[in-house]
Amino acid sequence: MNANPETLLEVKNLVKSFGKLQVLKGVSLNVQKGDIIAIIGPSGCGKSTFIRHLNLLEKPDQGEILFKGKSILGKDVESSRIREQIGMVFQQFNLFKNLNAIENIMLAPVTLGKLSKKEAEEKAIELLERVGLSEYAKHYPSKLSGGQQQRVAIARAMAMNPEILLFDEPTSALDPEMVGEVLKIIRDLANSGMTMLIVTHEMNFARNVSNRVLFFSEGNIREEGSPKELFENPKDERLKDFLAATKH
Amino acid sequence: MKKFLWTTFALFLFLLIGCSDNSKLANRVFGINDLKHKKVGVQIGNTADIYATDFGGDTAKIQVERYSKLADAIQALKQGKIEAILCDNQPAIAFVKKNPSLDILEEVFVEETYAGVIAKKNTSLLDSVNSAFEQLKVSGIYDSIINTYINETSNFHYIPKTKNAPKLVLATNAQFPPYEFHTANGIEGIDIEIAYFIADFLGRELEIQDMEFDAIINAVNSGKADIGLAGFTITEERKQSINFTTPYANSKIVIVVRKNSSSEQSLSIKELFYNNLIKDSRWKFIVEGLGNTLIISLFAALLGVFIGTAISFIRCTNEVTGRLKILNRISMIYLAIIRGTPVMVQLLIIYYVIFSSVNVNKILVAIIAFGINSGAYVSEILRSGFKAIDPGQVEAGRSLGLKFGHILRHITFPQAFKNSLPAMTNEFITLIKETSICGYIGLTDLTRGGDIIRSLTYEAMLPLLIVAAIYFIMVAGLSTCVARLEKRLKKNER
Ligand SMILES: Nc1ncnc2c1ncn2[C@@H]1O[C@H](COP(=O)(O)OP(=O)(O)OP(=O)(O)O)[C@@H](O)[C@H]1O
Ligand SMILES: [Mg+2]
Repeated sequence: MNANPETLLEVKNLVKSFGKLQVLKGVSLNVQKGDIIAIIGPSGCGKSTFIRHLNLLEKPDQGEILFKGKSILGKDVESSRIREQIGMVFQQFNLFKNLNAIENIMLAPVTLGKLSKKEAEEKAIELLERVGLSEYAKHYPSKLSGGQQQRVAIARAMAMNPEILLFDEPTSALDPEMVGEVLKIIRDLANSGMTMLIVTHEMNFARNVSNRVLFFSEGNIREEGSPKELFENPKDERLKDFLAATKH
Repeated sequence: MKKFLWTTFALFLFLLIGCSDNSKLANRVFGINDLKHKKVGVQIGNTADIYATDFGGDTAKIQVERYSKLADAIQALKQGKIEAILCDNQPAIAFVKKNPSLDILEEVFVEETYAGVIAKKNTSLLDSVNSAFEQLKVSGIYDSIINTYINETSNFHYIPKTKNAPKLVLATNAQFPPYEFHTANGIEGIDIEIAYFIADFLGRELEIQDMEFDAIINAVNSGKADIGLAGFTITEERKQSINFTTPYANSKIVIVVRKNSSSEQSLSIKELFYNNLIKDSRWKFIVEGLGNTLIISLFAALLGVFIGTAISFIRCTNEVTGRLKILNRISMIYLAIIRGTPVMVQLLIIYYVIFSSVNVNKILVAIIAFGINSGAYVSEILRSGFKAIDPGQVEAGRSLGLKFGHILRHITFPQAFKNSLPAMTNEFITLIKETSICGYIGLTDLTRGGDIIRSLTYEAMLPLLIVAAIYFIMVAGLSTCVARLEKRLKKNER
């Protein structure tokens, strides 16, 4: 059934409507282990909706999603088991406000029995160090800047040791001076071989970090290729307009 | 906050001084014929109520003002709110003795006889009680009792001999001297002595249940009490729902009015305090009532939080996941019923309908009733606390593989609880104040404790103000504690 052992995720002909509005119009995509895929496109074209499907936060009307060759949409599939392996980082960080930084990171692995409390704590300390926030372990979200919150959120997703990490515009809600610190963390992750899908408006970042770029427009992938191909030699008219508009 | 408390205290003192001087009012009723069109007080459910309501046909109607306690009617009469009171002769004599500004008219309103009440289905008890009455008269004990309480020529008290036997439960309304009234030693009076005698005669141990007069027949019929003795006059209407024992006393309904020139001195504050609190250890009624109010409020609040949390969990789970459909439907019905009916009616239903046949502890009944009531409000408060949490946190939890229950326990509930604290405090403040209706099931809570003192001293102001002050202090204390807790929870997030 599984043609390519390196394929982590296979999306086939995904269709989704909200009421009368068809947001995804038959999206297909293969993600290989180690892929770093940047997703770009104009606002409202369905990028978030697409990426949320991969984390089972939305259910498609039609289509199929295979994770490591097995469907994850069947009724018998436990969504929480899949979500453990596919982490997500949100535009609005979404930290648990009643827990401090280290508790935010430890909660899922301890609650789900993946790690003992002690192991989780060690891991959380290590992750906080990795995102440069060792000193902020006991700080509550309300006392952290946006950039710091997003870095904790990345560490939180990493604590589950996911196979794939999804980012939905991780820097869009940040003040400009904080964008760099978050992008640096994501770049480090990319260098460590993590498989990632990143929805972003940071064109330079998309170009430098990813190995593949998807251009979304009106509910589907209009063009796909290496960053070099896509940014230097765009074919789709809408992609050309889009790139021209973002260059200012 | 301190300044505020002082201001309130000053206001309290001001009221105390301002109210203690009653202006004298003239009497306007000199005979039965003067009653027409006048405001006349009666006790709810007493036969005087029935007679007064029927009096005068359509042309000369009395404006009947119904009080649940005669003592309240006495106060109203003294303050000029009503012009006369119709009540039984013996209590009238007792009241007038303590209130020199009042008088009983010589013209009698109506003559009547008293008997005990027993449930219709309980004919065997009726027979034995009637034999007991016979024995009571034959033995001369009845005369001794009357000599003690009415003629005051004797000092006889019946000493019951039966101990540790099955209970004979007496329902009465201890606001009706000399038949039944509160003293520092408990409830005493003619009916009480008779009841002890009857219990002994039956080989049973007497238990006295003090309740509102109009609740007694209900209590006897529902099996909460075996017999009712409270100066019941035999009437055709009552006969339809209950059996009467042999009559044991004759009485008349008389007219109590204000004297024209009053010799009554208004009491100084010191005397007021002495009369209402110190004399016969009356403060004990307040202390007992306060204890019960605190116990009921505390445990009802705990039960309410427990029920409210469970219901809000069910409703939120259903809202988000669509599971627990049946439980959710049940919760909705519970919420609709509890929020759609007065807590007082709920308390009465729980006491008289749900626990009608069991002899359950009244405090427990009150805790259950107020707990169930409070649970409905707590659940809605918590639910809006849940609504205030941004859904992003729930999504983040799900994206990590956490199940809905985990998210509820670790993330949303703690935040919902904190969001709900101010509204929850209000709910508990309401709860404390609402327990003041416990008197309706004959439970001595704080309000009722003050009422008992009021019925002994005929003094409205001081007992009521003291009770109000104690409620106020409880509420202020609770508010302060919660404000502190809130501050601490907030600090936790810093
Ligand atoms: N839960 C929902 N219910 C109804 N409509 C929705 C819902 N979620 C998204 N939409 C609509 O679907 C369309 C695509 O939304 P989506 O958030 O996927 O766009 P996007 O590409 O991520 O845009 P942006 O760059 O602004 O984040 C929009 O028109 C949006 O209004
Ligand atoms: Mg989006």
